[in-house]
Amino acid sequence: MFYKEWIKTRWALLLILIVTCGYVGYELLNFLRAIGAMGGAHIWIAMIMKDEPMFVRHLQFIPLMAGVALACVQFFPEMYHKCLKLTLHLPCSHLRMMFEMLGFGLASLLVCFGLNYLILWLGMRPSLAPELYGKMLLVALPWYLAGLAAYLLSAWIILEGSWARRIFNLVVMFLCLKVFYLSSFPGAYVPFLPCLIVFVLACILLPWISIDRFKKGIE
Amino acid sequence: MENVIECINLTHYYGKRKIYENLSFSVPKGRILGLLGKNGTGKTTTINLLSGYLQPRSGECRIFGQNVQTMDPALRKQIGLLVENHVQYQFMNIEQIEHFYARFYPGQWRKEAYYELMKKLKVAPGQRISRMSNGQRSQVALGLLLAQNPELLILDDFSVGLDPGYRRLFVEYLRDWAHSEGKTVFLTSHIIQDLERLVDDCIIMDYGSILMQCPLGHINEGFHRFHCQLPERLSDVPEQLLGEKQFYHPALSLTGELELYSFLEKDEVERRLQAMNLPHGPLMMDNLDLEDAFIGLTGKY
Repeated sequence: MFYKEWIKTRWALLLILIVTCGYVGYELLNFLRAIGAMGGAHIWIAMIMKDEPMFVRHLQFIPLMAGVALACVQFFPEMYHKCLKLTLHLPCSHLRMMFEMLGFGLASLLVCFGLNYLILWLGMRPSLAPELYGKMLLVALPWYLAGLAAYLLSAWIILEGSWARRIFNLVVMFLCLKVFYLSSFPGAYVPFLPCLIVFVLACILLPWISIDRFKKGIE
Repeated sequence: MENVIECINLTHYYGKRKIYENLSFSVPKGRILGLLGKNGTGKTTTINLLSGYLQPRSGECRIFGQNVQTMDPALRKQIGLLVENHVQYQFMNIEQIEHFYARFYPGQWRKEAYYELMKKLKVAPGQRISRMSNGQRSQVALGLLLAQNPELLILDDFSVGLDPGYRRLFVEYLRDWAHSEGKTVFLTSHIIQDLERLVDDCIIMDYGSILMQCPLGHINEGFHRFHCQLPERLSDVPEQLLGEKQFYHPALSLTGELELYSFLEKDEVERRLQAMNLPHGPLMMDNLDLEDAFIGLTGKY
């Protein structure tokens, strides 16, 4: 199953990796330019006083778009001419096949997002105190969780056979994802992060609803 | 004889539209059974019910004795499924798709059977399926099924998109493979000539029910077209002809010729026409190929 997913998504994954890392690199360059122009001390003071997500705010919707893009690349071909029938006809349990497909997608996104974090960490560490770059990384965490949730919710929508239900799912997805963008105040999400993680994990089960409906021929 | 497929009292509706009610049939092991029917009679619906991608309103489909809705996943190794329009993973090439499927069928996968058919395709091994013609894609899908070497093949409209040469090659290959290895095949096709060369038995579906399930020879040898000239020009087919259950689709041509189809012997048809007091010229009997027989049984719309 991983082989199929890899063949299907490898170029898209490369593109997602380049775009997300490119964006992170761009934000990092802005940060380094600001340090060079205004000096490290000024940036430190600004970060402490302003209490807003400086230098990472443009990343806000990048993980979300990466999640949606990967789900499209992975699951639209499954629904093209109902190719999912071929996958479901393989001699494995349907639940296992679904988890393997989603597991591949989630693992790919985690690698990609992990690299984003690594670049940010490596780029900011020499110029900022751990509290300051830790705060920035924490600010971006709900956005990256939104990327994972967007991937799972998009899979739920794409695998759904009925258009009316797809639109309903889309509205639910929009409302769910809004929860990840309620505030960009540094630390605002810290107490709520476990709930967001549980929510993302729970979303893994949603595509099963669509697959089950597909098996019943509901269109 | 052991039944590989058993459909029991299937009832299915799309919304309020009834497709069929209490449909039952079975396919014995080692037989090639063709499902024939006009458009919209439920052939693809039957395939979808059999492959578990549709839930009937009532009744059940059993394959190898197991309900298809709750079947042990490992049993699917023994069922080869050709999905409508010969769908396959478009993003793979010939080698990748073989490599992918082979891992699911250890011990039964026949790589050489697949590549033997692929040699005839004249496409580069690295060419993606999405860039192939419809016919080439169909050949890839069929090649994969033969490589899977299952005990049961379910083929939905297998001849769609294939050129005559490849159709003939496939029909002969499939027939020899099924008969020599005792495989069971359940298939539909719009090209009835192909079915005639391939199937042992056929089911003819009409709207809402099965019109007939029998060995092909029963139709080839026993079903005939009868025609005779009527002395007087009639505007409509006489009521007594329409009421005769052994006469299928009696009709009048523009020249006043009466045409009907029947399993009865010529003498018996003659006797029944006389019993109806229907004056007519000499009664002629034609042998039929399967396509004509199908039209005779189901009518010309």
